[in-house]
Amino acid sequence: MDTTLLVQMLLGALLALSVYLPLTCGQLSLATPGFYAIGGTLAALLSTKVPALAGAADPAGGAYPLGSVLLEMLLAALLCGVLADGIGRVVLRLQGIYLTIATIALVEILRVVSLNLEITGGAVGIFAIPQPFADPAGYALFAGALLALVCWLCQRLAVSRPGLAMAAIRDDAIAAASSGIPIEGWKRLAFVLSALVAAVTGVVAAHFLNAWNPRLGNFDASITTLAFVVFGGSRTWVGPVVGGLALTALPELLRPVGDLRLIVFGLVILLGPALFPQGLVTPERLSAVAARLPEPLQRRLGFRLSPAEALDPEVRP
Amino acid sequence: MEPALQFLINGLSTGAVYGLFALGYTLVFSVLGVFNFAHGAVFTLGAYLTYLLVGGAVGANGLLAGLQLPFALPFWAALPAAGLLTALVSLAVEATAFRPLRRHRAEPLLYLITSLGAGVILVNLLQLLLGAEGYSLPTTALGALPITLTIAGAQLRSVQLVLLVVAALVLVVLSLWLEGSRSGKALQAVSEDATTARLLGIDSDAMIRLGFAMSGFLAGIAGGLVGLSLSISGPYFGISYGLKALGVLVLGGMGSVSGAVLAGLIVGSAEALVPSEWSGYRDAIAYAFLFGVLLLRPQGLLGRAQSTKV
Repeated sequence: MDTTLLVQMLLGALLALSVYLPLTCGQLSLATPGFYAIGGTLAALLSTKVPALAGAADPAGGAYPLGSVLLEMLLAALLCGVLADGIGRVVLRLQGIYLTIATIALVEILRVVSLNLEITGGAVGIFAIPQPFADPAGYALFAGALLALVCWLCQRLAVSRPGLAMAAIRDDAIAAASSGIPIEGWKRLAFVLSALVAAVTGVVAAHFLNAWNPRLGNFDASITTLAFVVFGGSRTWVGPVVGGLALTALPELLRPVGDLRLIVFGLVILLGPALFPQGLVTPERLSAVAARLPEPLQRRLGFRLSPAEALDPEVRP
Repeated sequence: MEPALQFLINGLSTGAVYGLFALGYTLVFSVLGVFNFAHGAVFTLGAYLTYLLVGGAVGANGLLAGLQLPFALPFWAALPAAGLLTALVSLAVEATAFRPLRRHRAEPLLYLITSLGAGVILVNLLQLLLGAEGYSLPTTALGALPITLTIAGAQLRSVQLVLLVVAALVLVVLSLWLEGSRSGKALQAVSEDATTARLLGIDSDAMIRLGFAMSGFLAGIAGGLVGLSLSISGPYFGISYGLKALGVLVLGGMGSVSGAVLAGLIVGSAEALVPSEWSGYRDAIAYAFLFGVLLLRPQGLLGRAQSTKV
């Protein structure tokens, strides 16, 4: 397979996880492309405008230092984390569809602002973002490691106390609140985590794409990332990863059908939810797959994917 | 004095289109409690159909390159005809994107996806068939009406007056129908409480279809009007209108007809007041309003506060 496509698929899976995180406590946020764009723009600005970050590498073709990329990721995560916390305090008071609309508005406002600011290059964007890796394989390893890390964190979250609290909020927020779960706090944590994942993904994407423009964080991106999650299934973290990998690859694999590929993509998301209302990956299917793994591996992985299974030893595969 | 009147008419005519657009969302939202994200695509389709019906020819890029209908309708006939066709398309969207999920009692989030899928298909079909280039309706579409009118010393594009008049007409008819007719009241009953309405013998599926057909008609009309006043910049041009109309909808209060219209006029006028050196930020106005309203008055200007049932 084409390595460039592989990197895109890995980035797609990361964005899908960013949409998945607020959903773990029942919040549909479409703000992911907004934070992704902030991360990407920040990386593009820092790496092209701050000479110190390029380090000792000679401008004649030396690779951009990996340490600087990590620093950009840290800064983007800090910025988006603080921003998401502030926005979360305001927006998460809203319920259901209002929250979703507010996040759509946030993405559009960010897009309009970055289209009009001089420093972000307006509609043209920022070009010649330096490359830390000479070929796509490096990016694939880096994005793969990042994805593995985020997956691991999601798995830890799912079986931990915060994860259980979030699942309780998703199932019945009022009952959760009356059981003493601070629902505002956990919702905000999920929102901030989502922003962090989107921000660091944006940094990697900016270097990988070599150029950044405001179109990369628009409403289309909100919907595409949401489609990843709905297609894959939102009950476990495996669903969004599968959805992100598969649906990023789909339009590329459909390239032979040429002009029809977006129509086929539309058909998939039009018909998919009716055929698989829970998405491709449900906790039941996942348990069935996990049960086929060798016993020691199961124990090592701690394959208790849904919190309910973590609580009830009877259901463990 | 003349710029003031000009500003006002500019703002009001843009606002009237936002209002029509938001009303289409409202009709579906009130009967189903979900958004139809294919609405923007239906709007786009309305603009293209109006263009074709007034005798416009297809450009060189699409599969249908060079196609021209053998007849050319005057604008006042082409607009409702396009509206009827988009109403049919809206029914098709209901049948493919909404009905299967309703049968499964799926969660509301999934409707977002499927309706968007329908929208993606429509927009890309348009691109495939008619090409990505922009079209503008001929200035002669309005027949004998001159291009500009001078009223009280102000130069006004007559297109904008047509827009205002048509929008006002549609709104009056719609309100009369909703409040005064049997089917309009049945629609309201379904949006209040679908189960009770069904127990009282109202065919709620038929009402849902009616809501979609009306919504498609409104989107088609709004598309045709925008196509006439601004031109069609490509198959994706409905999307930004669709998003702004969401803002208008929230500002007015979801499910409120008069709220949608009032909010449309407010947003349209506010956009017209943006000075030209800040014009790049004009698109953000609807969203800024949206944020403000969500924070201060989440039920919207004319909406009712909703209480959560335990």
